[in-house]
Amino acid sequence: MADYLWSVGSPLRKAFVPGRQGVLSGEAGVFLAELTGFSLVQVMARRGRWADTAKAAKTHYGVAAPDRPTALFGKQATLVWSGPDQFFALTSADGLADPLAPLRGVFAGIASLSDQSGGRCLIRISGARVRDALAKVSSLDFHDTAFPVGTAAATSIDHTNVGLWRAADAADGSPVYHLLVFTSFADSLWHTILDAAAEYGVDASRAGVFA
Amino acid sequence: MRIACPFCGERELGEFTYLGDAAPKRPAGFAADGGELPSAQDDFFDYVYLRDNLAGDMTEHWYHGGGCRSWLAVTRSTTTHEIKAVRPAPGAGASRAG
Repeated sequence: MADYLWSVGSPLRKAFVPGRQGVLSGEAGVFLAELTGFSLVQVMARRGRWADTAKAAKTHYGVAAPDRPTALFGKQATLVWSGPDQFFALTSADGLADPLAPLRGVFAGIASLSDQSGGRCLIRISGARVRDALAKVSSLDFHDTAFPVGTAAATSIDHTNVGLWRAADAADGSPVYHLLVFTSFADSLWHTILDAAAEYGVDASRAGVFA
Repeated sequence: MRIACPFCGERELGEFTYLGDAAPKRPAGFAADGGELPSAQDDFFDYVYLRDNLAGDMTEHWYHGGGCRSWLAVTRSTTTHEIKAVRPAPGAGASRAG
């Protein structure tokens, strides 16, 4: 049997162009970044075992498991609500180690685990005009009072399912959002956001997930 | 039209998929359930094909596939589209039994 060599590539290899795009004058209003170097595990509680799952998550990650649409930021992991009785655990990873290995014992018998590290693309969108850009593609209310730091949502952008949450504000006080999208839809979503943000000036880059 | 998902909050219609009347219950007595009752054929014909065409409040199954991927039971007036209640369908969310 012939060996197949798997090579790791960015899900945005077609769409991603680094640097300044859209309107070129003035400061970029929107910063887009593909975040790399993460592992992502979906944890889904088995029927009637949510309380046990939440307790195990708290012990393992040091941060409570989200039981409503929120993202909770721990030292080692970010836990993001993805639906009733389920969440994503986002951790930093720089190798190809199996992210499920340390979790199997933690959630044995109470939750089902699914490694989504290679299945999702993580995009960070920020900047002074980020809300204006997102308003064109999302039906959610991103006002500070409706969507404060730590709010998460499972929603659709351009008919594409996304997991979305608001992280801590940038140094200049502008909001920062993270988007998780299926890898095969990532190019398309990137183009959509780029088009929506072009009039504000876009700066595209790649960065480490917890950098 | 907007639907207030009990898990996500108020969302636009485009995130949801319509299934239909939530009232029909799968009849018992089919061969696969162990022994066919004489009434099973008629009961299943009714369950699979026959639907009431209500003018007024109707409880329907909707799927929040563009969001939290939960099945919901939505009570909606078929004449005004006013939504009167939204609750998780039985079995939605692992913490709920059934």
